[in-house]
Amino acid sequence: MIELKDITFSYSSQVNGGLHDINLTIQNGECILLCGGSGCGKTTITRLINGLIPRFYPGNLEGNVLVDHKNVDDFPMYELAEHIGSVFQNPRTQFFNVDSDSEIAFGLENEARPPKELRERVNATIEKLGIQSLRNRSLHELSGGEKQKVAFASVYAMNPNIYLLDEPSSNLDMDAIEDLRKHLQLIKKQGKTILIAEHRLYYLMDIADRIVFFEQGEIKGIYTPEDFQKIPTFKREAMRLRATDLKEVHPEISEVVQPVPLLKLRDVSISYKKKSVLKNINLTAGPGEVIGIAGHNGAGKTTFARALCGLHKHTTGEFLWGGQPQDRKKRLRLSYMVMQDVNYELFADSVKSECSFGIRNPDTALVEAVMEKLGLTPYGDKHPNTLSGGQKQRLAAAVSMICGKELLVFDEPTSGLDYDSMTQVADLVKELAALGKIIFIVTHDYEFVCRTCTRVLHIDHGEPCDIPVSVAEEKTLKKLFSIR
Amino acid sequence: MSSKKVRSGLWIDPRTKIVLLLLCVLTAAMAPSLFYEILLVCLVSVFGLSCGKIRYALIGMIVYMIFYFLTLATMQLHGSVQVMLVAFFGLVHKVYPCGFLSGIILTTTKTGEFLSAMNRSHISKKIVVPIAVMLRHMPTIREDWRFIKDAMKMRDVSPSLKNFLKYPGMTIECIYVPLMMAASKTADELTIASVTRGIENPKPRTSFIQVRFGISDLIVFLCFLAMFLAGQFCKGVFL
Repeated sequence: MIELKDITFSYSSQVNGGLHDINLTIQNGECILLCGGSGCGKTTITRLINGLIPRFYPGNLEGNVLVDHKNVDDFPMYELAEHIGSVFQNPRTQFFNVDSDSEIAFGLENEARPPKELRERVNATIEKLGIQSLRNRSLHELSGGEKQKVAFASVYAMNPNIYLLDEPSSNLDMDAIEDLRKHLQLIKKQGKTILIAEHRLYYLMDIADRIVFFEQGEIKGIYTPEDFQKIPTFKREAMRLRATDLKEVHPEISEVVQPVPLLKLRDVSISYKKKSVLKNINLTAGPGEVIGIAGHNGAGKTTFARALCGLHKHTTGEFLWGGQPQDRKKRLRLSYMVMQDVNYELFADSVKSECSFGIRNPDTALVEAVMEKLGLTPYGDKHPNTLSGGQKQRLAAAVSMICGKELLVFDEPTSGLDYDSMTQVADLVKELAALGKIIFIVTHDYEFVCRTCTRVLHIDHGEPCDIPVSVAEEKTLKKLFSIR
Repeated sequence: MSSKKVRSGLWIDPRTKIVLLLLCVLTAAMAPSLFYEILLVCLVSVFGLSCGKIRYALIGMIVYMIFYFLTLATMQLHGSVQVMLVAFFGLVHKVYPCGFLSGIILTTTKTGEFLSAMNRSHISKKIVVPIAVMLRHMPTIREDWRFIKDAMKMRDVSPSLKNFLKYPGMTIECIYVPLMMAASKTADELTIASVTRGIENPKPRTSFIQVRFGISDLIVFLCFLAMFLAGQFCKGVFL
């Protein structure tokens, strides 16, 4: 049993994510979904239980956190680790070994289990979770979804009583989310207590026993999944929550105007490390089009995006822009990629200087006009790092416009975003499309695709196929995003 | 059951590697001649090859050869320029073998092996855990670098040597700022992931991969020891 008694907490290093007057009791074997907009405090709850607060994230804590009637504070982290397993959001930084088997054994090694038991437990874990294909693999070669499975397996091998998952689906494709759902069902059947803080809600509706809704650090409602699904859409969106049932999400009908083709790909093939990734891509696109790129984790979406921008070397075939062939260097000048982690592309010490960074003779009038257009003027003197994720994306888009880029690629712009932030990104994309840019978006996010894209390019090894986003094609789209 | 698919080349115990590094530092510091230095770098390179780091070992060797011939060329010069350059190259020759060997050691040591080996030697977790996080952090920096290179290219700041010499300030800023931002976040997340899986447990850690001294450890150790002793007692041979 987990009891949170009169918890009030504020981080000493950040403003958001604090908690106010929280009382919550979780029975053994219960599965609790914690939801709410970004910074509502749902992640903070998981950190209180696994002891990361106050040991790793210092702050001002009042109240008690009890696990099986014992105060969490009284135990060292390694003892908590034996009973409480944690899975986090970022698959890249969750593993510690180079190969999958040692990674699954990692927690057990720390518990000092004898080598014979280590092997047995690792084997049993792989068998139970059905991840035989991941056995004995180099972790650097795995896709994000596969890494996340290994991270889950590593926690499963330790056999904790309580599982804490902090936005585990953020970087996963639809199939990997389905596998995660099955794994959660398995541990639920074993009678484990599960707490999940999550933005994507739809896959948890038949697993969660109770859904706790947070707003500004307070519990604003506790629902059963049945009641929760009855919340009308407009109210749910006001709560900054994502869809609970993707079957109910439909493509937004946009007037499909066939624009004059500007970009043309003719028989483009791409290889990566001497292996062929994509073959015979033929595609035309015109100004104002927004093209989604969908496909499994590791199918070559990002490689395609990089090739399009002229960042990937090994391509054959022709890229034409307005009828003129474009080599790699020319494409590089024409295009800009807004990366999944935008921090990599922000270099300067203020928003304003970021906008003119690297340009020898910046056009001040243009800089100001673009900043005004994208709503960045009030933040002109702020350090880019103090902006929110969505504002950083806006800043990157502003940079691309000032550099005169015509082709924009967004790499998973909505991973780990709540409803509000997702609509803001959608608005940004629409604004850019209205300015006549050609936009490609690598994404797994069906809700986002329905809102923004005019077409979806499905990439899954070999030849890609092109599907328009319209009511008529809804069935094909749902199948593509594995919505059953 | 051992991870053959992942591992290639010779496997050396992390403890042996630390001893090798110490020996290498001593050998390089007390090297009697330039010719001897080149033999030492050859030995390190052969060690790298046998550990499966073929590309790294060859590049390391070639770069050293360049330094070697540059040093020979400066010997022909006169005056204060020569003094300056000889002092500079002297330092390079002392540091190079150790840096080269450290590179091989860092890239061939798995975090799990390192933890287990240190545990066997009863070294405090307070020292071992941060080093382990650092070890694990290395490949992540390489990934970060790839993203940053892309970002720079799109901003028309080429991450090349030429550009670096032309606009040193801007190029450094381009690499340094995002790399530091990414590094601090990664280090935090790695630490959290390890701590919540009990890395601080004081019990003697067991290991999935058996860490044990083998015949190859002995052979490699003897090679480096022989190199060191030869440098000390048979100086005449290398002059």
